[in-house]
Amino acid sequence: MWFRHRRARSVSALAVAVLSVTSACSADREEESLIHADSLVIAVKEDQPRLGDRGEDGELEGYDVDVARYIADYMGIEDVEFIGTTSARRDGLLARPGPGGSPTPETDPTGTPERADMVVATYSITPERKTRVTFAGPYHVAKQDILVRADDDEVFEARDLEGRTICQGEGSYSTSRITAGLGIDVREESKIESYSRCIELLAEGEVDAVSTDNLILAGFMTEYPGEFRLVNNPFTDEKYGVGLPYGDVAACERVNEAISTMYRDGTAEELFEKWFEGTGIEEFDENGEERTYNVPQFEGCE
Amino acid sequence: MKSPEPESGAGRPEQGVSPRPITDLSVRRLRGGRAWALAALRTTPVRVWTLSFLCVVAIVGLFAASAVTLDRARGSLSLLGEEAGPQAMATTELYLSLAGMDACVADLLLMGTDEALQPQREGALKQYEANREEAGDAILEAALLAESKTSDEAAPEAEASASATHETEGTGEAGGDVTRAEAGADEGTNDDDENVGSENEGGTTQDHNIRAVLDRMGAYERLVGEALRLNEMAGAAPGEVDPEALAAYRQATRVMHEELLPKAFNLGLESSAIVRVDHEEGRTSMLLGQVWVGAGGIAALVLLVGLQVYLRARFRRLLNIPLLIASAGTILLAVGVVWTLGSGSEQQRIAKEEGLEEVMALARAGAVSMDMQADQSRYLIDVERADNHQQVYLERSQQVLFRPADTLEDYYERVGEVAEAFPEPPEELEGLQNDPGALGYLGRGDEERSSAAQEARLARVLDAYDDLQAEDREMREAMRDGDLEKAIEIRLGVIGPKERPGETDPEEGAFQSYTVALDGLIAEHREKRFDAAIARGEARVAPWVWGLPVGSVVLLALVVAGVRPRLAEYR
Repeated sequence: MWFRHRRARSVSALAVAVLSVTSACSADREEESLIHADSLVIAVKEDQPRLGDRGEDGELEGYDVDVARYIADYMGIEDVEFIGTTSARRDGLLARPGPGGSPTPETDPTGTPERADMVVATYSITPERKTRVTFAGPYHVAKQDILVRADDDEVFEARDLEGRTICQGEGSYSTSRITAGLGIDVREESKIESYSRCIELLAEGEVDAVSTDNLILAGFMTEYPGEFRLVNNPFTDEKYGVGLPYGDVAACERVNEAISTMYRDGTAEELFEKWFEGTGIEEFDENGEERTYNVPQFEGCE
Repeated sequence: MKSPEPESGAGRPEQGVSPRPITDLSVRRLRGGRAWALAALRTTPVRVWTLSFLCVVAIVGLFAASAVTLDRARGSLSLLGEEAGPQAMATTELYLSLAGMDACVADLLLMGTDEALQPQREGALKQYEANREEAGDAILEAALLAESKTSDEAAPEAEASASATHETEGTGEAGGDVTRAEAGADEGTNDDDENVGSENEGGTTQDHNIRAVLDRMGAYERLVGEALRLNEMAGAAPGEVDPEALAAYRQATRVMHEELLPKAFNLGLESSAIVRVDHEEGRTSMLLGQVWVGAGGIAALVLLVGLQVYLRARFRRLLNIPLLIASAGTILLAVGVVWTLGSGSEQQRIAKEEGLEEVMALARAGAVSMDMQADQSRYLIDVERADNHQQVYLERSQQVLFRPADTLEDYYERVGEVAEAFPEPPEELEGLQNDPGALGYLGRGDEERSSAAQEARLARVLDAYDDLQAEDREMREAMRDGDLEKAIEIRLGVIGPKERPGETDPEEGAFQSYTVALDGLIAEHREKRFDAAIARGEARVAPWVWGLPVGSVVLLALVVAGVRPRLAEYR
C-alpha cells in the first residue's frame, strides 16, 4: 500500500507546486507519516524490569521492547534504534516543531534534543495526553494492583489497606486513586524517588504495600523471587498505548493493525509468557480467572 | 478505486491522448497532407493545419482530463455518501446492541423472580431479543463493508505487509490457536475456539474480528441462558442473585467485555480507517485532477493564442473572433472545472470531518453509556466486585465526558459544571497545571463550526447526561445506606427521579431522555453536515455531465470556424 502512497505523494507534491492549492493539508499530513519511514527511533523504559530494562549486556530488553520490535517489523521497517527513557521524559520525545501546544522537546545531557518516533514505555492512554500525543493501541490493559510481602496474611483487597503505609513514586497518584475513591484511610509515603526504591522499602519492612500497575509490580517480583505477593485486586485500567507524533493517523492505524495481528497470531501471548513467567500474572488475570489473550479495545486514532 | 496509472495516463494531454476521438477525417487529412507536406514542409497551410490540429488535441485533452477527474470526484463523493459512510455508521450499532444485550441480562438478574417486576422482566427480555437481532444486522453490514474493502485492496495490502510478517503469521497462527483452545476448555467453549482457528487462515483483521464476534456470540448466549435459568430455579429475590447464576453471568460478561465488545469496537475503528483512506485518496485524486485540468487548459490556451498570433502575422488580420472566443471559453472551462474539483473536495472534507466523524463519536458515546447502565446493574448484583464495577463505571463515564476527577463524587460535580457552563468551557480547576477542559466524546464540541441548532442540541445532551449522573449518585447513595430496594427501583426506573432540572421528562427516566437527546444531536450532524455536504458536492459536479461535452464541442467548433476561412484561401 505504501508504494502507492509514495507515488501519490510525489505527484501531490507536484500538484501543490504547480497550483499552489492551499487546501492540500490532508495530503501533507499523509506525507509526514511514519508509514513512509525507513528507520525508527523507539523509546522504551530503561528502569522497569521485564518491561523495559537494561539487560546484563546493557541492551534494552523486555515485553515493551519486543512488542515495539514486532510493530516495527509489521510496518516493514528494519532499521530500528531503541532509546531508554523515563516516565517524565516521554511526552517531550514525541514533540515536533510546529504550531499547536506541543510540549518542548527534552534535551539529553549533551544538550541535543531527544526525539523518538514512537514511544512504547508503559505509556498509559489518558484523555489529557491524547490532546498532545496520538495513541495507537492499547496493546495491553494493565490493572492497578497492590504488592505486599509474601508473609503478609492480612491484605487481600484494597480495603484491607486501612491504616497501613503505602509507598508511591514521587508525582504518582496511583495510591490516592484507590484510597480516595473508596474512602480508605492510609498513610502515604510519597516522597520516594522511584518505584524501585519503594520495592526496597517494602522488602526492608519500612512500608506495608506498594501500589501501581500490576505489570510493573510483577516485573519487580521477578527480581525478588518469593519475597512478595500480588494482592490481585484489580482497580483502574491502565491502557498501555503506543505513543506517536500528534496527528499521525495513518501510522496509528497501521500500528493498530499490527497489534491486532500480534494477538491473532499468538505472539502477544508468547511474549507475555516469556517475560512474566513465574510471576503468576501470566496464568491468572486480575479476577483470578485463567488469563486469556484477546486484543484490547482500541482507543481510536482521531 | 483502482491503481491510478491507466486513468491518469489517459488524462495526460501531452502524451496519452490519441487523436482517435477527433474523427478519422482529420487524421486522414493529416496523412494525406503529410505526403504533401514532405514536399512543401514550410508552407503556410501546413503550419495552420498543424497548429489547428494541436489546438484540437489540447482541447480534447482538456476534455478527457476533466471528464476523468470529475467522474472520480463524483465517485468519491458517492462512495463516502452512500456506501462507506453509512456502513461505517452502522458498525457503531454493533457495539451498541451488544452492550444493550449485556445490560438487559444484568437487569434481568437484578429483577430476580419477583412477581411485581414481571412487566419489567418481560420488557427486558423483549429488549434483549431486539438487541440480538440488531447485532446480527449490524454484523452483516460490517461484513459487507469488509468485503468491499478486501476485494479492492487485497492485492496491494498483501504486497505491503511484506515478507517480514508473513512468516510469523503463518507459524504463530497454529501455536496460538492450540493454546487458546486449551484455555477455552475450562469454560467449555472448546468447539467455538477451534472454529475460529480453522477459518482463521488469511483474511484481514476485519474478517477475523467479524468471525470472532459471530463465533463467540454463541458462547455468550449459552452462558447467559444458564445464568438466567439458574437464577430462575433458585427463585432469587430482586438484588439477591443466586451465586451460581452470578458465576455464570460473570463468565458471560467476561466474554462480552474481553472478546465481543473490543472486537466490535475495533471493527468500527477499522471502518473509520477505511473511510479515511478512501477519503484521502479521493482528495488526492481531485487535487491531481486540478493539476491535469489546469495543465490541459494552459496548453490549449497557449496553442490557441499561438494560432491567433500566427494567423494575425501571416494573414494580416487584426483579430480572429472565433479563436478569441475559444480562448476565453477554454479559460472558463478550465477554471470552472478546477473550481468544481476544489469545492467538491472541500465538501467531502466537511462531510467527513464535521459530519461522519462527529456522528461516529456521538454514536460511540451512546454505546458506552449503554454499557454504563449495565455497570450500574452489575454494581448492584455483584457485591463482591462492587468497588470494581463502580470504578469501571467511572472510567466509562470519563470516556463519554472527561473532566479531571479521581472519584465519582468529584466527577458528578465536574459534569454539573460542564453542563452549566456550556457553551462556555467549564471553569478551570484549581491546583491543576493545565486544565485540558472538557474532553471525551461529548467534550469534542467545536464552537467555531457548530451551528446554533447543534449547540442547543448538545446543551440538551449535556443536561441529560448530568441528570443521568445525578440518578447514579442517588442509586449509589441508596446502596451505601443499605437500601437495596430503593437502589434497584432507581436503577430500573420504577420510581421517577426526585428533582430533574432541564429537559428530562420524569415519565421517561433519565437514560431514555439522554438517548433521545443524543439521537437528536446525531441526526442533526448527519443531516445538516454529512448529507448536506455530500449533496452540495454532488450538485456542484452534476452540471458538468452535460456542460463538459457541450463546452468542449463548442470550443472545437470555434477552432474550426476560426481556421476554415483562412485555409479556404489556399484551396
